[in-house]
Amino acid sequence: MYKDRIEERRGFLKQFGATLGAAGLGATGLAPRNVQAAVKPKGNIPDKPVKVGHITFMTGPAELLGGPGQHGHILAQEEINAQGGLLGKRKIETMFADEAAGTDGNVKELRRMKLSEGIDLFTGVISSGNTPALGPVAEELKVLTLFNDGCTDFLFDKAVPNPKYSFRVTNIQSADGVTAAIGAATHWPKVRRIASLQPDYSYGRNVFEHFSLALGKLLPGIEVVSESWPKLGTTDFTSHITKILSVKPDLLIAGVWGGDYVAFYKQALRYGLFDKMKVATTLAFGGYPHAIGKDHPEGVLAGVHANYHFLYPPGDRWPLNKSFVERYYKRWKEYPSFEADGAYTALYLYKHAVEKANQLVGGWPDDDAIIAMLEGAGIDAPAGYLYVRADNHQGYKDTVTGLSKNLPGYDFPVWDPASIVSIPIRSITAPPNWPKPGQGHNESTAAADWIKKTWPTAKAA
Amino acid sequence: MEIVALQVLNSLFYAAVLFLIAAGLSLIFGVMGIVNMAHGSFYALGAYITAWAVAAAAPAIPAAALFVLLFVGALGVAAIGLAIEPTLIRPFYRRPEEYQLLVTFGLLLVLEDLIRLVWGGTPRTASTLVDSLGLIQIGGLPYPVYNLVMIGVGVAAAAALWAFIYRTKFGVLLRATAQDRRMAAALGINVERIYILAFGLGCFMAGLAGAIVVPTQAAVLGMGVEVLVIAFVVVVIGGLGSLEGALVGALVVSALRTITIQFWEEFELAALYLIAAIVLLIRPTGLFGRKG
Repeated sequence: MYKDRIEERRGFLKQFGATLGAAGLGATGLAPRNVQAAVKPKGNIPDKPVKVGHITFMTGPAELLGGPGQHGHILAQEEINAQGGLLGKRKIETMFADEAAGTDGNVKELRRMKLSEGIDLFTGVISSGNTPALGPVAEELKVLTLFNDGCTDFLFDKAVPNPKYSFRVTNIQSADGVTAAIGAATHWPKVRRIASLQPDYSYGRNVFEHFSLALGKLLPGIEVVSESWPKLGTTDFTSHITKILSVKPDLLIAGVWGGDYVAFYKQALRYGLFDKMKVATTLAFGGYPHAIGKDHPEGVLAGVHANYHFLYPPGDRWPLNKSFVERYYKRWKEYPSFEADGAYTALYLYKHAVEKANQLVGGWPDDDAIIAMLEGAGIDAPAGYLYVRADNHQGYKDTVTGLSKNLPGYDFPVWDPASIVSIPIRSITAPPNWPKPGQGHNESTAAADWIKKTWPTAKAA
Repeated sequence: MEIVALQVLNSLFYAAVLFLIAAGLSLIFGVMGIVNMAHGSFYALGAYITAWAVAAAAPAIPAAALFVLLFVGALGVAAIGLAIEPTLIRPFYRRPEEYQLLVTFGLLLVLEDLIRLVWGGTPRTASTLVDSLGLIQIGGLPYPVYNLVMIGVGVAAAAALWAFIYRTKFGVLLRATAQDRRMAAALGINVERIYILAFGLGCFMAGLAGAIVVPTQAAVLGMGVEVLVIAFVVVVIGGLGSLEGALVGALVVSALRTITIQFWEEFELAALYLIAAIVLLIRPTGLFGRKG
């Protein structure tokens, strides 16, 4: 019986080329490539350290995301330095600053890092409120920038439509809501009445819009019966929860994250919310994995920002992830989150581009040479295969989500391996050079326009 | 119908917490003339200390005894307050107000970092307390008994505070000092002692609010800053320095918040600030504020 249902869901997922369960990578035709043998650097490399600036949340409720990012960055730096540094010569030195200083404070700090400290590379940044302000400044200062997150579509749709120096490693934000929609439609095809609980700022708006848009195509006839927009940083959710209970929805989509999500699920649990509806989230497992307690209900679609969970891709199929999790655990005595993978991968992406550029031009490559190698770059990351599109400087990798479950061996809930949904990113995001907002359409993102115009609506069941 | 009942209870619980915080803020201002920007951080400290104590003690002692730990959290914060007043606040009484604002704001930043240093970035919880009291059914919907009890604690705290200030000798001294510090000193009242006890009492109440809240939610970084803003809305409406004002302000703010969340979600914050603005226009000292 259960097996039949799984087969049915696999059929549903086929249209995206997506997979259910741990089979993942094999089905999408990806297998880890052999690690390239180290190539000898060409020309004279100075031994001056490479200075990196990294802004991330070190205080406030968002430290839950920023902390693992910092850990991932430091791990990559230590590993690269242990091999003698970049091109075997240049050690990496990082100065950190607190993103909680606010958007203006972050802009000032980036200027200071470049103008007074002379950083060679800028990384980090979690909030979607900050990357659209920092992106233009990075372009103006001509500082090579690899944003780890701050994944709003707006950054490369509008704020920096023709980026040169700025790149972003983690998946684009619209993919987050769409991934949650596909996850929800896969596991709960019968839901019709939808309630939404989103933080009241650009991220929550983006999740709600793309989730409802995609779910409407997948499950025609859905109806949004309630919207809640708590302010970011809310910890008392009882009134929101009671309101949601009052409209008796089949499904709640929740984009609240960080400390907010922990406070939310504790209250929702005692108010019986999880017994009365299915719950899909975009960031329930977005912070330190151990931040969520064993009391967290099972069977919740526990999002990881559509990026990475340390159980996936499974170690036997993607040894790079297994060894990353082991090294990370050894260093920090905790499991990595998607921010940890993003920050870790960002430094390795830089290393990859520097090495390739060095082979072409010799010596320490200038920024133009590194940028040329970053555009269109593809590397093996712990989360799977990552490629950087040349048209918008955005990193893409297959998205992933799954249902929460308490498994032996972990002090916190993880994903039920059989429930993991992995979706090829090309199936759910606008292709290269799709018109951006303002270029013949006024949707909020290129992705929204692309979904509206190209996705067929499923036949009503 | 059961939804209305639940929302009223939600609102009362939130009001109880807000009252404890705003009353402490008002008390400290009323007696000492200090606008304590770090007051929210004392609330956060209460939450963290309680969560830490509950986690440490939970396996060893029965659930009922864990409730004593709520007061451990509050007393811990009071002790910190008693240490901070003479060392950090006292040197600034004779300085202009902006110095006091700066020093308490600095204290806020230091306490925030200190919390992260001691307890790390992971939320701390104490759900054992909520679960030990179980749930009751209100029209078929579950509601935690813990929240009911804590609404009672809020009412008891308000009554006790009122009795303390209006029915004890210390209360008379406190009010006399609040009205005229120099006259009180001239009459032989030990003003320094009054100040330190008032500050400690204000901190105790903020700590108690944090202790009450943490079992239902979680202790998270930044919770103190979050609540400080709302506490200021409460005292602006009620009148800074007035206990009745803190009570009425807390009830108004939490009722308004619940109503807007249920019916007009996106208006939640705007409604609070709008009411505060209207009160400021009509009665600049707040509903129960003293003139001048």
